[in-house]
Amino acid sequence: MIRVAAVGDVHLDADVLGRYRPALEQLPGCADVLLLAGDLTRHGTVAEATCVATEFGNLAVPVIAVLGNHDHHADQPQDVTAVLEDAGITVLEGSGTVLTIDGTRLGVAGAKGFGGGFAGRCASDFGEPEMKAFVRTTCRIADRLGETLRSLDCDVLVALTHYAPIPETLAGEPLEIYPFLGSYLLGQAIDSAPTALAVHGHAHAGSERGTTPGGVRVRNVAHPVIKQAYSVFHLTGAERPTLTATGSAR
Amino acid sequence: MNQTLDEYAEAAIQRLLTEHPSLGEQGITLTRREHCLMLSGEVESPQRRAEIERLVNEALPDVDVRCDIGITRANPPTEHEELA
Repeated sequence: MIRVAAVGDVHLDADVLGRYRPALEQLPGCADVLLLAGDLTRHGTVAEATCVATEFGNLAVPVIAVLGNHDHHADQPQDVTAVLEDAGITVLEGSGTVLTIDGTRLGVAGAKGFGGGFAGRCASDFGEPEMKAFVRTTCRIADRLGETLRSLDCDVLVALTHYAPIPETLAGEPLEIYPFLGSYLLGQAIDSAPTALAVHGHAHAGSERGTTPGGVRVRNVAHPVIKQAYSVFHLTGAERPTLTATGSAR
Repeated sequence: MNQTLDEYAEAAIQRLLTEHPSLGEQGITLTRREHCLMLSGEVESPQRRAEIERLVNEALPDVDVRCDIGITRANPPTEHEELA
């Protein structure tokens, strides 16, 4: 059994420093790993990323993160990533990692994701260059996420995104903005592998639980949704990957 | 109700909350009531809530702005979810 803690949308800056730390100090007693589902900063500045590194760095459990749209706002996601990785946080984007925890291999594939909407109500790769670029961005990210999920050699497989892979965990948000909150392509990627759990954030007014069309459990761990420092999920190896794979993908 | 509180004002405030350099908030809901504008949702600190109130009041000086924004709790969880 693997214990996964997860939270997203913590939007750190100097005014929040220290708020999470008391709860984070308790992590080793309740979780084996902490997943951060993007929007770790307010505007994606290096100064804010340094706050994230201070708050979520040097924990007693491994920390794995993806960036969110806020973390891209200052147009320096590489710098943000570097600050986080210097603090020991693994940052995934179309990539994966495998941790061995008490003999069980936990594989985490991560990508920010992007928008586009859901089946029957989604954007198409058609028309103006801007529209095609929008849809192709999501396609590219989802393709990479699927490839990574299928390539990880592990016992328990988890998908980590910022944007939502299904509409169910958006319930509570205005229907009109669903295409900006996620894409069915992410769900399709998650369903292309024996994924045990998919974790995302982004939808502050959304709902906690849902499943993909393929039956994979999806959890929206945006901080305003879970209303606690992090949620904890206990995963068994029941959903053991059957695909042949060769090490962690990048 | 003040005449300046129309759909365009609502749209302008929604964008202000996201795009103002000192805010970057996308999770605030605006509700135009009969005599006031309600702000609801959650933010990470009392300072952010105060800044939202200040900027919205500054943008709509003639509108009665009511703030019902909470601070998201950051306590450790008291239970876990089993996903067998």
